[in-house]
Amino acid sequence: MLAQFRLITFLFGLLLGVDLMAHASPSVVIVSSERSPAFVEAAETLVSELERLGVSRFDMLQQTALEFQRSGPGSPKLLVALGSQAAQAVAKTKPQSPVLCALLPRNSFEWVLRETGLKSSEQFSALLLDQPLSRQLELIRIALPAAKNVGVLWGPDSKSKELQIKALAATKLLSVVDGHVAEDSLLFPQLKKVLTEADVLLALADQQVFNAQNIQNILLSSFRAKVPLVGFSPAYVRAGALISLFTTPEQIGRQSAALAKDVLLGKGLPGSPVYPSQFSVMVNDHVARSLGLNLDEQALSARLKSSERAK
Amino acid sequence: MKSLNIRQRMVWAVVLPVLLIAGLLTAVFLTARMSDLDKSYHLKSQALVRQLAVSSEYGLFSANIVQLQVLANAALRESDVISVTVLDNRAMALVSAGQRRFAAVPLLGRTASATFDARRRVDLLVQPVMPSPVQLDDFMEPSASGSVIKPLVLGHVVVEFSQDRLLALEYEMLFLGLAVLALGLLVAGLLAIQLGQGVMGPIASVSKLIERIGHGDFSARNDISPSDPLRNLQIVLNQTAERLASSREDLEQRITLATEALREKKEEAENATLSKSRFLAAASHDLRQPTHALGMFVARLTQLSHDAQTSSLIKNLERSVQAMQDLLDTLLDISRLDAHAVPVQLSSFAIEDVFEKLRVTFAVLAQAKGLSLHVRPSPLWVRSDVALLHQVMINLVSNALKYTPKGGVVVACRMLSGGQKIRIEVWDSGQGIAAEHHQAIFTEFFQVGNAERNRTHGLGLGLNIVQRTLKLLGHSLDVCSRLGQGSRFAVELPLAPVGLALPLSKQDIMAPLLEFEGCQVLLVEDDLLASAALESLLASWGCELRCAVGLPEALAQLKDGWVPDLVISDYRLPDGANGIDTIEQVRAWVGEATQACLMSGDMNQDLNEASKAASLTLLHKPVRPAKLRSLIRHLLVAKAAL
Repeated sequence: MLAQFRLITFLFGLLLGVDLMAHASPSVVIVSSERSPAFVEAAETLVSELERLGVSRFDMLQQTALEFQRSGPGSPKLLVALGSQAAQAVAKTKPQSPVLCALLPRNSFEWVLRETGLKSSEQFSALLLDQPLSRQLELIRIALPAAKNVGVLWGPDSKSKELQIKALAATKLLSVVDGHVAEDSLLFPQLKKVLTEADVLLALADQQVFNAQNIQNILLSSFRAKVPLVGFSPAYVRAGALISLFTTPEQIGRQSAALAKDVLLGKGLPGSPVYPSQFSVMVNDHVARSLGLNLDEQALSARLKSSERAK
Repeated sequence: MKSLNIRQRMVWAVVLPVLLIAGLLTAVFLTARMSDLDKSYHLKSQALVRQLAVSSEYGLFSANIVQLQVLANAALRESDVISVTVLDNRAMALVSAGQRRFAAVPLLGRTASATFDARRRVDLLVQPVMPSPVQLDDFMEPSASGSVIKPLVLGHVVVEFSQDRLLALEYEMLFLGLAVLALGLLVAGLLAIQLGQGVMGPIASVSKLIERIGHGDFSARNDISPSDPLRNLQIVLNQTAERLASSREDLEQRITLATEALREKKEEAENATLSKSRFLAAASHDLRQPTHALGMFVARLTQLSHDAQTSSLIKNLERSVQAMQDLLDTLLDISRLDAHAVPVQLSSFAIEDVFEKLRVTFAVLAQAKGLSLHVRPSPLWVRSDVALLHQVMINLVSNALKYTPKGGVVVACRMLSGGQKIRIEVWDSGQGIAAEHHQAIFTEFFQVGNAERNRTHGLGLGLNIVQRTLKLLGHSLDVCSRLGQGSRFAVELPLAPVGLALPLSKQDIMAPLLEFEGCQVLLVEDDLLASAALESLLASWGCELRCAVGLPEALAQLKDGWVPDLVISDYRLPDGANGIDTIEQVRAWVGEATQACLMSGDMNQDLNEASKAASLTLLHKPVRPAKLRSLIRHLLVAKAAL
């Protein structure tokens, strides 16, 4: 009965929506890079959250980056770009409306800014996918209390964080063992060097260092060296990382809805990109067992949250 | 193609299809199997290289030489692998195992490659080692960041595979296939021979049976076994043999019967001939005696003096007797020839002997008729009976002279090609013989143009005697003549090597009266008429005679101590006595080998032989006075020589 009602409402809404699209501009336009499940999930969460907050579904327009490029920006109250491509497509149109970029890492957002010459402001802000370094180090501290040396491999995209992480580590009584992987140089010697000294390897989003091609070998090497790897996505855990800290598309959608509500209520966007407040922890039990560890995702997540709240 | 017998054809009929099918199957399966082997070899080698590449991934990533060496050594232990080399992404060989045959490593690319060195029969497989990608989160793979990560090539695995084992396997397969083919053929051949024997046995048995029947053995039968494939044929053959046997028996019976009948008929005919001969012999014997006597009387009569009229009459009478005696002589000759009573004494002699006699005999006659007679001399010798051949030639020449009114007669002989025979030819320029008479002239009493049987033209028995004589001698005779163009008779006889010539005896000189004056003669003759005639004739020759009709009388004549110079005895005497016994007894009585001769009217071979055994000359009645005189002269000369 409920499903029927929803279907009828959806169809009716669709008709109405088409009508609105033709005659009036919607208050929120959501542009996704593509229609893959992660993007759809994030977008749906955003829409339903906004709906829950009182924004009519018919006042929101979902588009792909391609569709957005064809129809133009219009003049909505808020543009939400999900993914790097969407962010780039939206940024290129230099819209008058405020733009919230979400579901993209910091590197991508910064690259979009460089490409379009825009500046991070209340008009053009982002909800990043990356986890803050402090949170990652905190997780290491909670999950692996014995680990003192955190291994990090710096690539061209990530080495800007070197100083920041070293400073942060010092505050948590951790030391950083690092190696630099230059473009077109072999990864393994640096990896070997790091693994011999580090107690834990922290993977940072850098295409030059961690990519689909070499993650398997890195994981294998770290596993052989009995150095657990802390990753930044569920895929790392599935590939053999001990633990991953990440924010799901749904969590992004929810946080995006909160930020969108502020805009609709007349407030501005945050002036600089913000890290996601919500996150998930995922543990590879097999790896944990083989390393002689006993970790619980929920417990870790809860401890990490309480630790952040305490701050 | 030379013809094959049934057995060979059978073997071919079985072996050829088997050869075709087995050969085809072997070829198909061998090809399929070899292609499978080839495929599996390539698949295996590719799989090995790929597996090695995957296994080497981490070793290359971590430049773990020890691990790579272990992998390379392990790979080298796989079959067909000659060498294994692992190169890093700068084409530097990190590890290698085995002896490399390839001179240079081919270009290393991002794709797998395979090179085949046909000379060394080596496959060189190169496989790039790529890291195995792991699917990471979409939005953490920011293509938007600009830097596109190309798949990294960690290094290359180069493995050499030898095709030696594959080749050996393929050869083994080929050999096996051929062996199977050969075995199949052998089995098929044996089977064919076995089958052939199953069929050939009965056929051979049937053909043997037919052969035996063909050779006339109708008792031949084959044992028929129920499993015989040619059972019906065998049954029919056996029945045929039975029928043939019974029909032959039937036929033989009929032939026996017919032969029996023929034999009976022949015996009948022989009996008839025998009785005819007996009759003829008796008749001629009885006819001879008076003729003999008549001749003697006429001979005696001519010795007396008569007036001219009587003399002429006696001359005519003498001619008639002469003709009658000629006729009887000729008939006698024919009957002797018929009875094979003429002994043939073959000898080699110069033909010139015969020719000389011909010249002497016919010179006067030819001259009298105004004809030329030319007997060409010849140095050749022949093998024949001199007396019989002489008789033949006399007949032929006399015939020629008789039927030649003008011109002449030529006798010549020549050697025939081959040098085995000679041919004596008698040519005349006479009236000739029409072609239709060429056969008839040899029959008795046939005379061309003498239907009225004028006695002056002879008897018409000459050529008949010639033919019979030559038949007896085994010589051939042919005649060539055309009416009005003369005739040519030719005799062919065997040639003999030249020998020594005998001088001709010329004693036929007329003796005067009383030639044998004082000669004591004992005449034993039961026929009184013949005895009187002979007595008269002998007395005219000056002989002193004592006559006897039989053996007792003859012995009685000797009782007074009279010794005869000569005994002339008839063969058949009264009371079962014969001339030979009489002469023996007389000789026994006298005590010395008195000269003697026999006379007989019988034409009998036994008599001839008996007289010859007793060394007595046999005179056939009617005895001509001239002949008798010649004999007496001869005997008296022989007596004087003793």
